[in-house]
Amino acid sequence: MPEKIARALSFRNISALYIFAVMFIVFSIWVPDTFLQWNTWKALFDSQAVTAILAVGLVISLSSGAFDLAIGAELGFGAIFVSWLLVDKGVGLVPAIALTLLAGGMVGLVNGLLVTKVKIDSFIATLGMSSVLLALIAWVSSSQQILGVGASLESIGTSEVFGLTLPVYLMLAVGLVVWYLLERTPIGRRIYATGGNIEAARLAGVRVAAVVIGSLIACATIAAFAGLLVTAGLGTGDPTIGPAYLLPAFSAAFLGSTQFRGGRFNVWGTIVAVYVLATGVKGLQLAGAPIWIPDLFNGVALLLAVGLAKHEAIATRAGVVRRLLRLDRRGSGGSPAANESAVHDLR
Amino acid sequence: MTDGRQLLRVRGLSKTFPGLKALDDVSLEVSSGEIVALVGQNGSGKSTLVKVLAGVHQPDPGAEVELGADGRAGLHFIHQDLGLVGTLSTIENFDLGRRLGRSAVMPAPVREEARRAQELVGGFGAHFDVRAPVAKLSSAERAIVAIARALDGWEHDRNVLVLDEPTASLHGDEVDKLFVAVRRVAERGAGVIFISHRLDEVMNIADRVVCLRDGRLIADVPRGGYDHDDLVELIAGEALSAAEEVATPRPKGEPVLRARGIRAPTIAAMDLELHAGEILGVSGVLGSGREEVAATLFGAGLGTVEELEVDGVAVGQLDPRRAIAAGVGYVPGDRHREGAVMGMSLRENMTLPRLGPLRRLMGRLDQREERKEVDRWIERVAVRPAEPERALELFSGGNQQKVVLAKWLRNEPKALLMDEPTQGVDVGAKAGIFELIANTAAAGAGVLVCSSDAKELALICDRVLVMRDGEVVAEVASGTQLSEAGLVRAGLGIARQNGNGGEPATSGAEVSPHA
Repeated sequence: MPEKIARALSFRNISALYIFAVMFIVFSIWVPDTFLQWNTWKALFDSQAVTAILAVGLVISLSSGAFDLAIGAELGFGAIFVSWLLVDKGVGLVPAIALTLLAGGMVGLVNGLLVTKVKIDSFIATLGMSSVLLALIAWVSSSQQILGVGASLESIGTSEVFGLTLPVYLMLAVGLVVWYLLERTPIGRRIYATGGNIEAARLAGVRVAAVVIGSLIACATIAAFAGLLVTAGLGTGDPTIGPAYLLPAFSAAFLGSTQFRGGRFNVWGTIVAVYVLATGVKGLQLAGAPIWIPDLFNGVALLLAVGLAKHEAIATRAGVVRRLLRLDRRGSGGSPAANESAVHDLR
Repeated sequence: MTDGRQLLRVRGLSKTFPGLKALDDVSLEVSSGEIVALVGQNGSGKSTLVKVLAGVHQPDPGAEVELGADGRAGLHFIHQDLGLVGTLSTIENFDLGRRLGRSAVMPAPVREEARRAQELVGGFGAHFDVRAPVAKLSSAERAIVAIARALDGWEHDRNVLVLDEPTASLHGDEVDKLFVAVRRVAERGAGVIFISHRLDEVMNIADRVVCLRDGRLIADVPRGGYDHDDLVELIAGEALSAAEEVATPRPKGEPVLRARGIRAPTIAAMDLELHAGEILGVSGVLGSGREEVAATLFGAGLGTVEELEVDGVAVGQLDPRRAIAAGVGYVPGDRHREGAVMGMSLRENMTLPRLGPLRRLMGRLDQREERKEVDRWIERVAVRPAEPERALELFSGGNQQKVVLAKWLRNEPKALLMDEPTQGVDVGAKAGIFELIANTAAAGAGVLVCSSDAKELALICDRVLVMRDGEVVAEVASGTQLSEAGLVRAGLGIARQNGNGGEPATSGAEVSPHA
């Protein structure tokens, strides 16, 4: 068992937590007055809850092997759509929320059909959809903010429980549901299998088209929900907010995939990654860094995360091969048994 | 044709892989203007020899490989996939090697290029639009483009062209076109090594035939020194007493799978009946249709089945889901691309086709039960190391294949369809897989094994269907003539030892036209 614990605590497995610890210490010494304030942390938790929800939704689509580059626009669409329903159409709160989630789901359905039936690469399909949604947002809102969404929606975004706003708890709830779906149900197994090797999954009887469509629907619905929370937090429907969420969500999902589950996209790794990235950005801002720091930080984090994941896969395989070759050269004749023990000894 | 100057000389070439001597003291010479055919059945060492020559593998110490008297001759390899970019034109494919323009950024002289490309292919006796994307050309024309590109600009009498099964995807008159080109190459003084399974072609084009068997060079005979039957004997070897090694045939049970009108790009039409408790083999060379039988039955390929019955129930055309529900399992030949999700763990792979029985309240997957079940299967099929949480890609090929087998056996299939079940499997694990196949049949399932390895089929099958050119040309039952040599003979076009379903051997040096 100690071997298992050592592996669980290894840098490779939970690097984000170690990075977090280092950043925490550095910023505690650098800007102790502001960094160590509870209000700083409260603001951090509250402001990143939406990003975390979005990133968790993205985990579903990435796990099924589909990129959803429209999540930013989907979030923006959800934000505008709910305020348009409430303000311009005078729809009640509950139906407005339900319709917004439904609209998000429809967007995901279109994405899914484009990918599986029209067979457009998910990259291109969702990139196109993203532009269509931005146009839709501008049309619905006339590129103006939609003011006065009402106290009832605002209360969802701003009311506090135990010192944190409601979206933080909603984020945990969404995380829990998606985690259960992905890691504890046959559906999740099929999603990961489809993302891992779509042809092998199909030959194992998985309805891969349905899996991809379903994943993109879930992703877009969650994105619309995140947009709704943004509107709730601001009290206005802002037509410009969507695209800014795209990169942080992707950075977090990819960085998250290097955590806990050895290269697999996963919910808790992603949520941790959101907050680790946000902590870095926050610390730098408190230390007086210029306004473009978040963009730089998220971009570099995405590149590093994907680069590390690639490197890890190559290093693992190279390790096995090296051992095999070494055995071979030793003149053991590379008997199958020896080869197996080499594979066995790895890590 | 031969002017005697040696372009390639190989002496005492051996290549040892762990547990296998793939090449054993092979010596070979190719002279200018000579076409040497390299024949031998699957696993005889042909591809290893090509790979050693290409520098992919290092030969064992002590081998001598000499390129021409001055060591400056060149080797060019044309593989089956040709290495062309389908969306680019012939001209552009030529350009990939070397541009005609003055430098990489200067525009190339368009008209000049087209003229030269036309000249080049014309030099091989071909005439087609060099501006069309090569994907639009016929297979033979594409092969000529590849050959022309390989030899372009070289002094022909200094070069050896190695053609690795260039005709596997070609049809009758296409082969003739290609042969015209190959002869031109030789006439200009290059040496050619021509690898093929089709003996009629070999007889047609080769000045000399070199035969490999079990890694040893067993014959090097000039044109006229052999006839078709001699070649078959050379390749297949003496009829071993393989029939005696086969276990006594199990009594045939009820048919578990009955198919009529199997059609696919490489299968003309085929019927098939698989019985309970039977291991049925499908043999044939590359391109015979053998590769598509299992996938088509499972509904995973491009082919269709007119009528299909599983366990007495008519099911019509299957797709993978319905096939699994009907009790059919499919082990594909390409494990990495189709057989398993390599990045997922052993446990996850094993239960993927049937997760239903493990589903509990609220859609929960009972992972405790799953672990227990997977542990039992690991024990049963002897996967080593017995680590269910390890990613499948980190197991050896043999163990991966055992996992793929176990994932289907777990469904208790009525019919198990397998393609190349021992591909990429080491010798030790092979025996284990054979045993699993035998046990599966003994437990009452019908097992269909499609394989390019005649030795393996002779060893494990009760009955073997031999395919050629998309049709079943022979059916060999165990105990009579079921031997490696017999299967190879039937597959290559000699039916003299097989009673039923055989067609007369094609004879002479003509290319046999396709039906």
